[in-house]
Amino acid sequence: MYGGGNTFEKLKSKAVQDEDPEKLAEFEARIARGEKIEPSDWMPDLYKRQLIRMIEQHAHSEIIGALPEGTWVTRAPGFKRKLALMAKVQDEVGHGQLLYSAAETLGKSREDMIEDLISGKSKYSNIFNYPAYTWADSCFISWLVDAGAIVNQLANSKGSYGPYCRALDRICIEESFHLKYGHHCVIHMATGTPKQKEMMQEALNRWWPPMMHFFGPSDKISTHTEVLMKWKVKMASNDECRNQFLDMYVPKIWELGLTIPDANLKKNEATRQWEYTEPDWEEFKRVINGDGPCNKERLAVRAMAEERGRWVRKALLNPKSKYVTPLA
Amino acid sequence: MASLDPRLNRVDIYKYHQELQPKNSMDQFETYEVFVQSKESKPYQHEGIVHAPNQDMAFLFGKEQFSRRGVCTGLAVVLTEKIMVSPMTDNEENVYDHVSVASEKAGEKETYEVFHLFKRGKHMQHQGSVTAKGFHDAYQQAAGTYNTGKVVLNVWVIRHDDILFNTDDERVIWSTLSDKKFRDAIAYKALDKIKKFKEEQTASN
Amino acid sequence: MNELAIKDLLYKMADDQLIIGHRNSEWNGLGPILEEDIAFCSMAQDKIGQSLAFYSILHEMGESDPDTVAFARNAAHFHNCQLVELPIGEYDFSLVRHFLFDTAEYLRFNALAASSFEPIAEIAAKIKGEIQYHVMHANTWIKQLGTATDDSIDRMQKAINIAFPYALGIFEESKYEGDLISDKVFIGEHLLREQWIQEVDSVIATTDLVLPDLAAEEAHLGGRYGEHTEHLQPLLTEMSEVFSIDPSAEW
Repeated sequence: MYGGGNTFEKLKSKAVQDEDPEKLAEFEARIARGEKIEPSDWMPDLYKRQLIRMIEQHAHSEIIGALPEGTWVTRAPGFKRKLALMAKVQDEVGHGQLLYSAAETLGKSREDMIEDLISGKSKYSNIFNYPAYTWADSCFISWLVDAGAIVNQLANSKGSYGPYCRALDRICIEESFHLKYGHHCVIHMATGTPKQKEMMQEALNRWWPPMMHFFGPSDKISTHTEVLMKWKVKMASNDECRNQFLDMYVPKIWELGLTIPDANLKKNEATRQWEYTEPDWEEFKRVINGDGPCNKERLAVRAMAEERGRWVRKALLNPKSKYVTPLA
Repeated sequence: MASLDPRLNRVDIYKYHQELQPKNSMDQFETYEVFVQSKESKPYQHEGIVHAPNQDMAFLFGKEQFSRRGVCTGLAVVLTEKIMVSPMTDNEENVYDHVSVASEKAGEKETYEVFHLFKRGKHMQHQGSVTAKGFHDAYQQAAGTYNTGKVVLNVWVIRHDDILFNTDDERVIWSTLSDKKFRDAIAYKALDKIKKFKEEQTASN
Repeated sequence: MNELAIKDLLYKMADDQLIIGHRNSEWNGLGPILEEDIAFCSMAQDKIGQSLAFYSILHEMGESDPDTVAFARNAAHFHNCQLVELPIGEYDFSLVRHFLFDTAEYLRFNALAASSFEPIAEIAAKIKGEIQYHVMHANTWIKQLGTATDDSIDRMQKAINIAFPYALGIFEESKYEGDLISDKVFIGEHLLREQWIQEVDSVIATTDLVLPDLAAEEAHLGGRYGEHTEHLQPLLTEMSEVFSIDPSAEW
């Protein structure tokens, strides 16, 4: 899941040039050979910190991502949708757990990650700061937001860090039904009654701008991002992901008779790139820094879940227990 | 401020943010490594961790997190702390090449389970058991019994009694998994619907 | 075989499972610890899946299709016990309800696996594994929280005190109790209740909790024949909010 705009911005770490040159060379050679890095390997400080930030934000995105669809869990129409939506929201919590676990292998505790989420210090995918007003909104999210996430996940699954790749493998397997379910829902809405079509079109109109923000602004390729790409931490540019998403899904949206609220959206057959109205990146910045319609609620809900559950965890905690970094 | 989620309107969600206390360091408990046997003919394989207050809870959680989709025949959990881990080797080097010569050990003989990693990025897989007096003895035994030519990058050794396995009777908990079609991509075919829609569009144009 | 008696049995079981499954799904994404959130949701899905199986048998017997039956009836036409419609409360209440209800389910399906009515016997035998796990889960939590700290024991005890009289309503007898027993469709609520008390007692005995005095408790009856608390109709209205936009639409 795209971490939300600041994933690959510079962060504080030991400078790469200050790392042991021999160890660094061995580390880079391993990655160049296509081998995975495992938790007990030597790794540069920047690699470690960048991965923690990326995996942690991905985990937060899953946990927060469960909330807009969770809005409709008690109101899903019919058994099929009810069961599927419950399973999907459950999976999102499950994926969060898998990803936190992968980040833990790098030395950050789950307690710290949860606290950083609730305090606003750590970010999550910006798209979840928007409201799911209707059932059709949940259908859009289940299909197209998941589709966007899958584009990112597939790219990241070829990355260099073992635990993250293993988590992504499992996630990709479970996601296969999410995408099909989401598409199935949208198909039924778009080809259904006039009321259903209208609801779906309105939802799409509302969610399209945040969806165009999903992959983040055009990357400025710097030495920083170059290093991350060499280390197979950043696997594809934001533009590449966005273009792939548009290529795969715009035709599928159009074939259902739905319109997309961007008159400039079209594929340039010569360059094979999609053209579109440049998204409002000021709005993106505003929302990701806390000023979106649902930011406050999303974090309040997480705080609530943690606080409400505190007595349970406190009761069961064995005072003699002691934490050890997970192995893989 | 009303939420769009009716569940949240039944709770005062904003009061908690104010009452928030910092988490104590073990708020999320210890971790247990989880191993799954997907079929009787296959070895137990490491799948990941669960955070849990004790072994019984770890079993329940492990079952949900790592076997809620795939039918399996066995599940095992063990406290991360209880696992003895060998160094991780590099580049086709066999970790067993560095095991020192066996020497006489004191103490009781116990069963230890041995796991191997054959390729970086893959999962630890169960090889079998050894009886030994202590971890180092077990590791040396493993070198003797399970070092069969294939390069091994990493070895985990775990005392059998530290592991909680499901009982044979408990296997029934996985019996209805394959019926839950609503979680399979295959239950969501809609090509016919799209086709029919396109035909209707063409007809009305 | 008395068809009305069998439908009566099927409706009450299906309605119980649908409503408790629905209530438990309210914890989806909001649980006290991630791993438990995932577990609780699995069980909620199982319950709803089970209700679908029973509504499907009813459909084969001439009732409307499951979606219509579940999403288009009012509270007065629902046959669930009042226990399952109560709000989720805090996690202590939800766990206690899960323990009391699922223990009864386990024993009920154990008995129904020998039912003379084939379709029910088949399902009961099939879901044995699921319900066994549900009880394993419930017992683990009751035992642990029921012995952990003064705070957890106090909370669980308060929850038991509230839930217990409602739980007795699970065993409200059917209009057709006699026929169900004599036709060997089911062992009857009276016998089931006895087994349940024994089972629940044995688990509670391993904790610092106590069950309320049976003699002093008045069961909350009426659910089986449409008498419900003020909580059921809002639940149903919410559950069918989207469905009722257009019951004939395919969602």
